[in-house]
Amino acid sequence: MKNKRSNLETKHNISGYGFLSLWLIGFLVFTVYPLFYSLYLSFNDVRLTVRGWETSFVGFANYTSTFLLNTTYMPAIIEFIVLEVVYVPTILIISFILALLLSKDIKFRAAFRMIYFLPVIVLSGPVMYQLISSDSTRVDDISESAIFMVIERFSQPFAEFLVLLFENMTLILWFTGIPIILFINGLRKIPKSLYEAAEIDGANGWQILWKIKIPLIKPIALVTGIYSVISLGLYEINPTYELLNAVLANTAGGMGIASTFAWIYTVVILLLIGALFLVFKEKKVVYVETLKQQQNQKELKRLQHQRNDRFRDIFSIEKNVDRIANLFKKGMKDDE
Amino acid sequence: MSKYLNRKFLGNIVIYALLISISYVYLFPLFKILSMTFMSPADIINQEVDWVPTSPSLNNLKISWAVLGGFKTVFNSIWVSLLFAVSQTVVSAFTGFAFARYNFKYKKFWFLMVLVSFITPVSVLLAPRIMMFSSIQNATGVSMFGSILPQLMMTLTGQGVNSAILILIFYNFFKIIPISLDEAAKLDGATSMKILWHIIIKMSVPAITIVMLFSFVWNWNETYMSGIFIKDSLSLLPMRLSSFDGLFDRSGSDNLINEAFKMAATFLSINPLLIIYLFAQKQFIEGIENTGITGE
Repeated sequence: MKNKRSNLETKHNISGYGFLSLWLIGFLVFTVYPLFYSLYLSFNDVRLTVRGWETSFVGFANYTSTFLLNTTYMPAIIEFIVLEVVYVPTILIISFILALLLSKDIKFRAAFRMIYFLPVIVLSGPVMYQLISSDSTRVDDISESAIFMVIERFSQPFAEFLVLLFENMTLILWFTGIPIILFINGLRKIPKSLYEAAEIDGANGWQILWKIKIPLIKPIALVTGIYSVISLGLYEINPTYELLNAVLANTAGGMGIASTFAWIYTVVILLLIGALFLVFKEKKVVYVETLKQQQNQKELKRLQHQRNDRFRDIFSIEKNVDRIANLFKKGMKDDE
Repeated sequence: MSKYLNRKFLGNIVIYALLISISYVYLFPLFKILSMTFMSPADIINQEVDWVPTSPSLNNLKISWAVLGGFKTVFNSIWVSLLFAVSQTVVSAFTGFAFARYNFKYKKFWFLMVLVSFITPVSVLLAPRIMMFSSIQNATGVSMFGSILPQLMMTLTGQGVNSAILILIFYNFFKIIPISLDEAAKLDGATSMKILWHIIIKMSVPAITIVMLFSFVWNWNETYMSGIFIKDSLSLLPMRLSSFDGLFDRSGSDNLINEAFKMAATFLSINPLLIIYLFAQKQFIEGIENTGITGE
């Protein structure tokens, strides 16, 4: 018997790794090795000579020159962080709202969904470049409007934030294609019974949104956020993109600096993803609360059911009294 | 009751107004591309012509078509994207199948690594990849720059554009097919490859279609790696578009007129994708729904 099981295990191992092998080779050769090798390169001076690539260890020289001497890269990184910090929350909020609207029972839902997903298909670096350079992403100039001037008078930074937001509204929207679908899918997976229970409790749509939908959608918001952080980095709107390409083009001696640039960038991306994890950390309290609500709902339903039968079973009333008394005690204890 | 209906009606109007106005912002660039493409120079300069060209002309399209390289470029783009798409589909299917069907050692770790490979920025891998291929070129004498070989090698081993997403699509699809089917086939003496072919592949035609479509579109739009490896050895549509400004230097002429040519070129290069989307939009949306990255 034991022999048979271990046979099955080896079979699973062999077949599993057999099918995995192509990806595994690629992952090790084209992802893991370059990842660590570029970390090594970032501490080296890399030159292309007649004998091939030659590296010589220079310590932190690449980093110090990037941080202290290079006048373009760090500002570009900061610009990139600002861009992510403005765009990602906007993408999340807009795509969540659109997902909420599209999960309602409305006509032409499929048509709207089709429009909102379209950018995923046509968006590429050059297309985005052409759109930006021809000013096609700016729908309206808000800096002339009266409201904007009032805002500008009160808070300059907020006004600048608004300009950044509105000037690139289309651009931001074009990144919401996949997030919307993810959110719709997530909303669909929330059990209907939760809504029903809340409705029996007398919750209105607004309360259902804040107490049920938003807490339960958090894990999906996290995935969507990570996706957005990464996808924003892939196009020319990423200010570090051009700089890295310029260094890479210099095959004679640019590989070390390029690796340094790329690693600084990677650390920034990881920090942003870490920040997302902090923001969307599942608070245990919220979950417990919904669970409690669920239990209370079940109890309430059962009580209602029994109330209908009260003439038949007079003892249940006593039981109920006891149960309600217990519930009260429990509730008071919990409150303490 | 009627009051309630009224409120609902008003609410719906607000929702539709919101959805339509957002759609407008979404489509604004496309409308602009479309209207600029068919404008004659007179229309472009004329301040009063906003959207609808008064004297539509095909001149912009003709010139951009010629500058982009015409049929040859379109044909190149199609076969290169198709080649990459096929190899990416095959490797993602194998990988997804391994994860969905077999309990091998360290499976969870490797699955996590699929996600890690998605998070890793390509830019951090570029310098070593370039050095690696240039060393291969020196050692073997096969030219790696100005060739599709490096990208073919990477897509064939599952490191192409968004490979992780494609693997996830297959993984979730294969998980749905009941294992009892495999077991029945195994009892009848089918090998793993036979099971893969007769049961899995024949049943997962929809998943294969979805992955092919995504892979084709993403490879079509990919210019980062192609800009480094393929370069201008093959004229590809998006690549030509990205160098359009340089190729198309009509110095001295009006800047706005140049813009019309650029818009026409953009229109031409996204056109094949729009056609695909028109016929397969359902598959695209289902594909993202089936990645399963929203839980399960």
